[in-house]
Amino acid sequence: MRGKRLHALKRPKLRQSWNKYNLYNFWRQRDPKIGLKDDETFFQQKWRAKGLLRSYHGEHVRERDWERMFSRRLLSVANMDARYMAEWDGSEQAAGRGSGQDKRPNWNAPDVKPMTLTPYMNMAFAPLERRLDVAVFRALFASSARQARGMCVHGHVKVNGKVTPHPTYKLNPGDMISVNPDIVMFATGRPKGKAYVEPTPSGTASAAKNKKLRELYERGVCYACRKPGHLAAHCPGAGASEQELSVAEAESDATVSAQQAAAEQDPDTTDAPEAPVEDMKPTREAIQSLMSQAKLVLAAEAPTLKVKQKRDLRSFIKQAKPLLSRAGRPSATPSDIASELTKMVSELNLVDISNDTQEAAAQEAASSSETREPPKSIDDLTTDERKALERLIREEEENPIDPSKPYATPWRPRSYMAPFAFIPKYLEVNQNVCSAVYLRHPVARVGRAEVPTPYGYRINQLAFNWYLRRR
Amino acid sequence: MAGPPRSRDTVSGFLDFASRRNKKFGVRVVGVKEGIAYPALLPSSCQDRTNLISSRFSLRAQLSQPWTTQSRTYMARHRRDFIKWTRGPGKLLKEPRPDQTNYLETKDSKGNMLKRPFPLNPEFKSEAVLDDKAREMIWEEVMRKGKTIKQVSAELGVDITRVAAIVRLKEVEKDWISKGKKLATPYCKAILSMVPTKSFKSAEQQNVPFEPINELHIHASTMKQIFWPTSESRHFTRADAAKAFHKDMLPADERVPHPELLQMEKSLLEGKSVWEAKAEFMDAAEKSERNAAERQMRRAMAEDSATRKFNTERFEFRFKEFNSEDVGRDGRRKKAVGWKYGMPSYDRMKGAIKIPTKVPQIGWS
Repeated sequence: MRGKRLHALKRPKLRQSWNKYNLYNFWRQRDPKIGLKDDETFFQQKWRAKGLLRSYHGEHVRERDWERMFSRRLLSVANMDARYMAEWDGSEQAAGRGSGQDKRPNWNAPDVKPMTLTPYMNMAFAPLERRLDVAVFRALFASSARQARGMCVHGHVKVNGKVTPHPTYKLNPGDMISVNPDIVMFATGRPKGKAYVEPTPSGTASAAKNKKLRELYERGVCYACRKPGHLAAHCPGAGASEQELSVAEAESDATVSAQQAAAEQDPDTTDAPEAPVEDMKPTREAIQSLMSQAKLVLAAEAPTLKVKQKRDLRSFIKQAKPLLSRAGRPSATPSDIASELTKMVSELNLVDISNDTQEAAAQEAASSSETREPPKSIDDLTTDERKALERLIREEEENPIDPSKPYATPWRPRSYMAPFAFIPKYLEVNQNVCSAVYLRHPVARVGRAEVPTPYGYRINQLAFNWYLRRR
Repeated sequence: MAGPPRSRDTVSGFLDFASRRNKKFGVRVVGVKEGIAYPALLPSSCQDRTNLISSRFSLRAQLSQPWTTQSRTYMARHRRDFIKWTRGPGKLLKEPRPDQTNYLETKDSKGNMLKRPFPLNPEFKSEAVLDDKAREMIWEEVMRKGKTIKQVSAELGVDITRVAAIVRLKEVEKDWISKGKKLATPYCKAILSMVPTKSFKSAEQQNVPFEPINELHIHASTMKQIFWPTSESRHFTRADAAKAFHKDMLPADERVPHPELLQMEKSLLEGKSVWEAKAEFMDAAEKSERNAAERQMRRAMAEDSATRKFNTERFEFRFKEFNSEDVGRDGRRKKAVGWKYGMPSYDRMKGAIKIPTKVPQIGWS
């Protein structure tokens, strides 16, 4: 099991996984066209078909185990119309020559509908869907069958309330599987990126800066202008002083490195070389410190901030994250990043109306008494504002920022997940408690089969035939 | 590294051209200085082992030499294509669409655009699941209004087993809420916005059924084709057909999940009013459910009375009476206890893990 390349690009194989490489392989796959030409023997066709399907179905299950699990008995159901059954007792089926009264075919019909078949062959790998780990993956509790297997082995999965550390356990109809919600959210959520890492007490410059900022906050000193008596949100020069300073630093770094790059370039070379790798560390640190400042303001001054300001701050943090990751790429230039950052900071209007310049305040006070003052308590809020605040608080309660969690908070589904998100009919899932009931074994119906399999009828048929031999 | 150096590894188009030209004469390019290629004097087998300019391992060495230009960083074609994909079509698949599925696109035989989780498998579709509101409604119907599972199943068009499972899972959810355990609400919201969902208006209103509820399991005995001669005048019904397949087989009318529904339709055909037929159905459904519960209770009690229990601090020992002579005709009966001649026992085999075949739903304490 170890050392196998699961998601290859060169010789791609489809897997039970939400990996982005796997999605790319799904996206670019074309019909393998087995058995359409006569260049392959039947054996070869079966071999290739079973290879294609086995790499998806229980690739972590040994061949011998799967062969023992394989069953030639394919389950299916027929929809019985109660009305028809009440009207007819079945004797009409025995009329004529024993298979129902013959109907005269309509030779003049413009087009004859082809018969919809019941894709029994798509049920070839149905026994694997009974496995506990596969069911955990199908219920969307894990991002791959292998991860689901790990969950079982590590005791995070219960069957009917009992911890079942056997990923090979075959579920019986009516079995309830429950997975620890924290583990599910870790498996299906975004990973904790660098942007989410809490500053460590020692080490990086940004960590030291954060510590300093916290100290300032504790002493009641504004972090923007370093003057006591007011907080950063009410600072008259908040936008101008520190935030822009760090951006300016980043910009100056960018110009210097660009000049260096220009000097190093040799005009005689025939081929333009790639731009030398620029030192993005100061830029990244500037972004990080801005983000941590915004977070601190958000955490410490939540009661004094307005809803819109908070929203702006959150969106600033949200925008800063991709910017930070972009700054880490080799193609990034400090000037680009800095200009974007400046734009974002300028959009972020944290300065309160009341704390604008004194002249404006005086003018306002003099000219109009009906101008609404910033609300001092919750009672002063309008109904809409209160509703918005309630919604925000509810969202925050449901999905809080919690650095102790092993996933990125607030929780968001991992990227490239939606194309894989489907729940087969034989499972009933309650996502709130991360539990599912295995209702019955998967079945085939007219036109549909419940086994989620990447290929259609023909390839499944060949694979089924492969496993039929000597049986 | 067999063959001439490839263009992505070499420095310039010129070098690429030169290498292609020289291939004919068996000369290979090993170095470049200001755009001039030097042919190699070594036999090609030796060259392969030396660090050629084409090798990406020599890249670092080259960078330190002032007379060469920088080579492009190595990236395999497939990887390049993948990165291109992440910026193009893959970008649309990265994030879920709000309250919409985001499956892969494919075309059917008529050229219509379709979205499916498996583009090459038209026989698998992502089918709708019941949303949280519908689940809550089903729980209300069963637990608050006291309807039977069969009644709710017939009213809303949800499979019997699914109704039971929804109630069971909802009970767990309510238990968590009462205990103050945190639900995975953001996860639930995210999943239900990604998969197709179905909701109900209210139980009183007419709802579009969620799924077919009267599905008959295709029994293996009915899969065979049999030749069964009967007289032409005989009225050969479904019950006769079942007997023809197997002597113990019940007719389809009794094997379907909702035989009461059949009875209701028959009453309607006989001319009874809808209200009357429905009342009859409700009674029958309740009765059948009660019977099933009684049967289950009786079985459990019989099991209980046949078992003697001894509780110690750590274990509960349960003893049952078995007849060691009861081994069947050939001595290999599955339920027979003890060692049987010719039957391998893997009980003590090294490395054999005893994986349970079932976990009882009740009885674990």
